[in-house]
Amino acid sequence: MKESEEKARSLLTLKQVILQVWLCCASLWRFWVSHAVPLDCKDETGSLTHCTSISQEKLLDRVIQHAELIYRVSEESCTLFEEMFVPYPLHTLRNQAGNVCHSKPFPIPGSKSEIQQISDTWLLHSVLILVQSWMEPLLYLQTTLDRYDDAPDALLNKTKWVSDKLLSLEQGVVVLIRKMLNEGILTSSSAIEQTLAPYDGQSPEVLESVLRDYNLLTCFKKDAHKMETFLKLLKCRQSNKLSCLSH
Amino acid sequence: MAYSLSLSLLYLGLLCGNGPVSARGSKLFTPDPSRGPHFTGCRSREQETFRCWWSAGTFQNLTEPGALRVFYQTKNALSSEWKECPDYTHTVENECYFNKTFTHIWTSYCIQLRSVPQNITYDEACFTVENIVHPDPPIGLNWTLLNVSRSGLHFDILVRWAPPPSADVQMGWMSLVYQVQYRVRNTSQWEMLDLESGTQQSIYGLHTDKEYEVRVRCKMSAFDNFGEFSDSIIVHVAQIPSKESTFPMTLVLIFGVIGVVILLILLIFSQQQRLMVIFLPPIPAPKIKGIDPELLKNGKLDQLNSLLSSQDMYKPDFYHEDPWVEFIQLDLDDPPEKNEGSDTQHLLGLSRSGSSRVLNFKSDDDSGRASCYDPETPDPEDLASLLPGHSGQGEQHPLVSRSSSSFPELGVQQTSEVVETPIQAQPAVPSWVNMDFYAQVSDFTPAGGVVLSPGQLNSSPEKKKEEENEKKKIQFQLLSDGAYTSENTARQLSADVPPGPGPEQGYQSFPTQAVEGNLWNGEYLVSASDSQTPYLLPEAPPVPILPPVSDYTVVQEVDAQHSLLLNPPSSQPTVCSHSPNKHLPAMPTMPMGYLTPDLLGNLTP
Repeated sequence: MKESEEKARSLLTLKQVILQVWLCCASLWRFWVSHAVPLDCKDETGSLTHCTSISQEKLLDRVIQHAELIYRVSEESCTLFEEMFVPYPLHTLRNQAGNVCHSKPFPIPGSKSEIQQISDTWLLHSVLILVQSWMEPLLYLQTTLDRYDDAPDALLNKTKWVSDKLLSLEQGVVVLIRKMLNEGILTSSSAIEQTLAPYDGQSPEVLESVLRDYNLLTCFKKDAHKMETFLKLLKCRQSNKLSCLSH
Repeated sequence: MAYSLSLSLLYLGLLCGNGPVSARGSKLFTPDPSRGPHFTGCRSREQETFRCWWSAGTFQNLTEPGALRVFYQTKNALSSEWKECPDYTHTVENECYFNKTFTHIWTSYCIQLRSVPQNITYDEACFTVENIVHPDPPIGLNWTLLNVSRSGLHFDILVRWAPPPSADVQMGWMSLVYQVQYRVRNTSQWEMLDLESGTQQSIYGLHTDKEYEVRVRCKMSAFDNFGEFSDSIIVHVAQIPSKESTFPMTLVLIFGVIGVVILLILLIFSQQQRLMVIFLPPIPAPKIKGIDPELLKNGKLDQLNSLLSSQDMYKPDFYHEDPWVEFIQLDLDDPPEKNEGSDTQHLLGLSRSGSSRVLNFKSDDDSGRASCYDPETPDPEDLASLLPGHSGQGEQHPLVSRSSSSFPELGVQQTSEVVETPIQAQPAVPSWVNMDFYAQVSDFTPAGGVVLSPGQLNSSPEKKKEEENEKKKIQFQLLSDGAYTSENTARQLSADVPPGPGPEQGYQSFPTQAVEGNLWNGEYLVSASDSQTPYLLPEAPPVPILPPVSDYTVVQEVDAQHSLLLNPPSSQPTVCSHSPNKHLPAMPTMPMGYLTPDLLGNLTP
């Protein structure tokens, strides 16, 4: 028992070390690129103009609103899909779907105590990684949902909407990072590769594909909730540092 | 391929295995006695810790503690080994508590209920912590009254609460939404309001005098699991009885007042005449019957002439009264030309020189007694004054009693002036007595006395005199026993009699007498039948009443040409009741008012 515990602890510390190193390298690499590409703002004519500035608090609020909306829409999409395609007895799978959610390159702390201990930088970066990790799967989900015969329009619209909002959320987080952490980040496609289930050409109505899509939706919903919570914690820290940290 | 196979196997296993376990975490504390040992539920209150409960079920031999054990597994960890429940709660039976360190959000847990000795897994459940969160109920529920409707039947309240202290809403760890429910007390149906993300909610349209129960619960936003309800609070607003009871009372009052007002208006309109008389008594205006007072004031004299002539005041009644006639004794010996000594003087035997006396005729005193004359009323003084001398300034006739200033008074007097100014019937000797017993009345005093002048009986027709203050001579028919005017003379009465030998100075304008119903057109006629002549005071011996003689008629009226219109004699007039003395029959009041000089002038051309 003690050995296993020690092993677990060592694994945890190792994980943390790897994570820190990775982050450092990533940020360094980006810094080397030093290609702080600011967000380009375009007016009606399409020419590039200087972006209007916005205060940090307002930006954070807007980002949080985005995250809240994304989470709510994802929850609605999940429910829609579940009602439409998933047989009733399998509704319990929504809680077990975490089993096959794609893993992140680094573990994101799950407990509140752990989350309270991580720094602002880490919070923001986690959010960014999460956002970037879901961009491709959502596009994939869109295509698969289109193939369904009787997919409701609401579901399709919601999925598309979420994809768009995710892009703007990423932009917002990037700006936040630049403002709060004074770091420049490339808004290029994430370096994280997603291992998606290969499309094997089966008809989408097969239970397997249905379940796979269902799993995708539930995983996304969970991650959206995570993003929202992280951003809210960050907001609390920004406004009232003492009470948020000393919980 | 293998992947999909494993997936399907897993799902089937789950299907066959336990069915819908507390995956959603909603089924709680309801152990199924028909089953074997199983989990009854897992709950998290604040998304930081959670608990799980199980039941031995039908397997009663496993109820002792330690027989059943819980193992869990977190699927995101690198290690997927099963660990035992970190904390079996001592105070509560069959509960496994996961504290903060063992709680990982967004990770799926699977727990198993095992009996270690037999190595049998009785139950298994998988979940993620955020999906089993049931927040605590909100605290601090209270209400405040917003307003009460005007009718006092409905009211609105504002309900407030605070988030549960265990939920870390302030940090943003949990986002809660609330749901308020209310119902009338002791009913079964709860009214549910929409989800509210704030900590207050308004409830509209509650009834006064009813007790309401209000409660609130919360859940994580975009999740499905509601927490427990808070304690209910009682909301009650007493009805204000006075408002309701006064409302119809005010209506009744208003309608009552309106009804009374309408009744009053109707009453006034129906009894308008009487009320007018009561409240606004009419002021008697100077009025001559049949003649518009306005016309008298403003009308042309021609019209007035016609009016006056058309007056049938001189009804035979007047004339038919007791034909008392003042007899004027004429002094036939006297020459007709007497200058100052007018006929009147001679008639009356008044000396020319005399102190100016004013004969006061009691014409004013006898108001209202239009047709009757009380012979006693005149003062003896007046009579006496008449006798000796004559008044007047200079050439005034003795009968001139009044000053001119008093004329208008008389003229406008409302009272039925007693026209019966007694005229002294003096046995004056008219100068013109050549034949007849006629005496020409040259003038009339304002008091109604007759001024006689030596006029010609059959004088030439008149010349018209347009001037004002034209003297008017009225031929006077006097009787020795009674003076009558013949028809001729009567005609000439209206004519403008030339002055004649005698001066006619001192003609007094006749005051117009405005007597109600008595208009005297200035003509005196003494007929046998009617005596409406200048009444002569009964100084003369009482004259017997002469029967009406057909030779003499009554001047009925003056027509447009200012000629007298005579009437055939009519029946005997009724005797005035007022006169006690037949000898002196009641003097008729001057039926006609006195004429003003201008009118006089117009009447006789």
